Amino acid sequence: MYRKLNTVFVFVTILAVLLAACGGAPQATTVAPPEQAETTAPEETEPVVLEPTDTQAPEPTEAPTEVATEAVDAQGGETYKIGFAPAITGPGSSLGAPEHATGQLIAEQLNEQGGIVGPDDVRHPVEIVIYDTETNPDVAVSVVRRMIEEDNVQVVVAGTTTGISMAIVPIVTEAEVPYISMASSAAIVMDPDTGETRTWAFKTAQDNFASAQWQAQYLTDLGLTQVCHLSENSGYGADTLAQAENAFGEAGIEIVYSDSFEREGTEFPQVINVQTSGCQAVVVGAIPPASSNISIALRDALPDIPIVHGHGTCNQEHIDLMGEAVAEGMVSPCGKVMVSETLPDDDPQKDVLLQYVADYTEFTGEPVNTFGGHGWDALMLAVNALGSLTGDLSLDEQRAAVRDYLENEVTDWPGISGVYNLSPDDHFSLGFDSLTFVKVEGGKWVFYPPDQWE
Amino acid sequence: MNRTRSDNLLRTARFVAVLLLFAIPVVYLGIQRNYGVLQFAQLALDGLRGGAIYALIAMGFVMVFNVTGIINFAQGAFVMLGGMLTVTFYQMESSLPDRLHLIASAVLAVIITTLIGILIERLTIYPARKSSTLTLIIITVGVYIAMQGLGLLVWGAKAYVFPAFTTLAMTDHVFRWFGLVIKAQSFWIWGSMILVLVLLAYFFERTLLGKAMRACSVNRHGARLVGIGAERMSLLAFGMAAAVGAIGGIVVSPILRPSYDMGLSLGLKGFVAAILGGLVSTPGAVLGGLLLGFLENVAAGVTKAGMKDIYAFILLILTLLFRPQGLLGVGKTAVESSSEDQG
Repeated sequence: MYRKLNTVFVFVTILAVLLAACGGAPQATTVAPPEQAETTAPEETEPVVLEPTDTQAPEPTEAPTEVATEAVDAQGGETYKIGFAPAITGPGSSLGAPEHATGQLIAEQLNEQGGIVGPDDVRHPVEIVIYDTETNPDVAVSVVRRMIEEDNVQVVVAGTTTGISMAIVPIVTEAEVPYISMASSAAIVMDPDTGETRTWAFKTAQDNFASAQWQAQYLTDLGLTQVCHLSENSGYGADTLAQAENAFGEAGIEIVYSDSFEREGTEFPQVINVQTSGCQAVVVGAIPPASSNISIALRDALPDIPIVHGHGTCNQEHIDLMGEAVAEGMVSPCGKVMVSETLPDDDPQKDVLLQYVADYTEFTGEPVNTFGGHGWDALMLAVNALGSLTGDLSLDEQRAAVRDYLENEVTDWPGISGVYNLSPDDHFSLGFDSLTFVKVEGGKWVFYPPDQWE
Repeated sequence: MNRTRSDNLLRTARFVAVLLLFAIPVVYLGIQRNYGVLQFAQLALDGLRGGAIYALIAMGFVMVFNVTGIINFAQGAFVMLGGMLTVTFYQMESSLPDRLHLIASAVLAVIITTLIGILIERLTIYPARKSSTLTLIIITVGVYIAMQGLGLLVWGAKAYVFPAFTTLAMTDHVFRWFGLVIKAQSFWIWGSMILVLVLLAYFFERTLLGKAMRACSVNRHGARLVGIGAERMSLLAFGMAAAVGAIGGIVVSPILRPSYDMGLSLGLKGFVAAILGGLVSTPGAVLGGLLLGFLENVAAGVTKAGMKDIYAFILLILTLLFRPQGLLGVGKTAVESSSEDQG
């Protein structure tokens, strides 16, 4: 009897260990990321200090060109470090991979420029130290600690998904390091219980509330008042549901059935509930590949029901993973970068968007998506903030100065996700207007503005 | 005589009680959600499709456990390898027509996975064959983690697209019969499960090698005494388990988007199915898989669908606590007799 119980416990323990890994993300290389980063980060990000003769290189916009070319210190100033940890692998990798590529792109551009020139007229190389969070909160926490304590970074840019970002927030708050997240939930920058802005946290991806407002407007325009909401079993999925409840409630749309689903699911009993609940449209809160899997299951059972996604799907992978035929006609609120050519010329973002689209497609050979844009905004905000640093500051003072710059000095700054106006009360500042609406047509995302809705 | 009859009566009564305990709340909750016969049938059908996949994976667990007495947690890696290798080969240029190309890719993937299974046995299990069962099980966990890491290196983190067998396109043919929705791929899954079951039954019942493997599982020491090499049988078991796992991975890939980490959840579900089936018999594994798929899908369908995985593991714990010998098993549990063997 005792032996039997013992064996049972052994199995259950092994299972628990495996499950713990299953809950977050693959644990395949839990120990590996530091090593991996050690070998990959330097070659990807090693800053090339500008030769004094190379004055032809384009100058950063932060400093007037004439001053910079004359006064650059031949020795070069202190190297600034940005800790950059997107989800290069794991369930968030369809978002993290373009962020990673954007990080490499910016590192390359900074190398060509030889770094940034601060107010002290000294040229500072910028090193982007890259890690992989593996979409695993435990790994994310350990790499962020490493960045702060061992790499001595001035600013942390990390967190592809909401869940990861929420795990990082307490670490950076305690260590007093400025942190820019690339994930969506408003809770990253504002404590939802107290309503207070989190001192050290900023973010660059639109709130799920803004996304839900677009969805509500679209559903209202179609005259649909009873909808189902299916969300991925993740921090992002849960937040899409919470925000949809807010935004849909305001618009008089009732969520008659809501449920979550697993990314790895092979069967979706949720679909049967959607059928019996009698809703007129389905709103999905998920990122690829989960968003693609549930869409296929929904289309099999309900060929005609409108499917509305959130802004977690704004990449080509979402379409490619479910196939053109299934994706056709699905809509989603997305950032303007998806449709930058069609924007009016007076749009303040148009120049920066077109430049980014050209750079990104040349660098990666792949179509652009919004997630790389979140990475671009986060990294460029960090670079600009570092460019404002004056000399003779200790690391702690530099970190505080970067935070102060982000909070007070970013005004009407056109990024990829929108035009930022950061303030002590708002560490994000983008709203409804920073998103636009797109639809899948012929296997591609196309602009689908409200006047075309039917 | 009298006593056996009352025993049987008691057992039947207990079975009916357990059945009702499950069925009554399910029907009640289902009616609350406006479910009709159609919805229940659809839930059951979907569940049986998932169950067939679990069954295929569970057969691999049983095969290795029978011969070596260890639970091979690397089974999930074979599933992943089957799916990912087939995708890789299918994406390569080829002058073959698409269907033949897919078949060739699948066959090649099964062969390579089998070889990898054999290699794993030789490199990790064989050198440690004198160690305790627990050590060997932990080795297989390590092997799984290593294989997943290797998968990440080779294929990257992205999910791949696998064509449906029937249409050879991303969009599968969907049968709509009497309001039921059945993907054509479901029939491939059920078909391959039955085919593997029949082939294995033939192998174990009719061939000398199969009988030798069975002898090994009945009594390892006895088998050795009559000249059956336990080490060779262990090698064979790993190879066959890898092949069966790969087949499972290949047929499930079109309804999943295969990626380097697909083996973890599927492997665990296959493990639950194998435990449900008693861990020693192939038909038991199939029954366990189908039952697991059915129960978790129906239970999830009438309550909160997001809790599907939780039901699977609740079922595992209940089985281990109240019926550790599995559904078909009688007498001593497989787990128990294995540890006695070692002791």
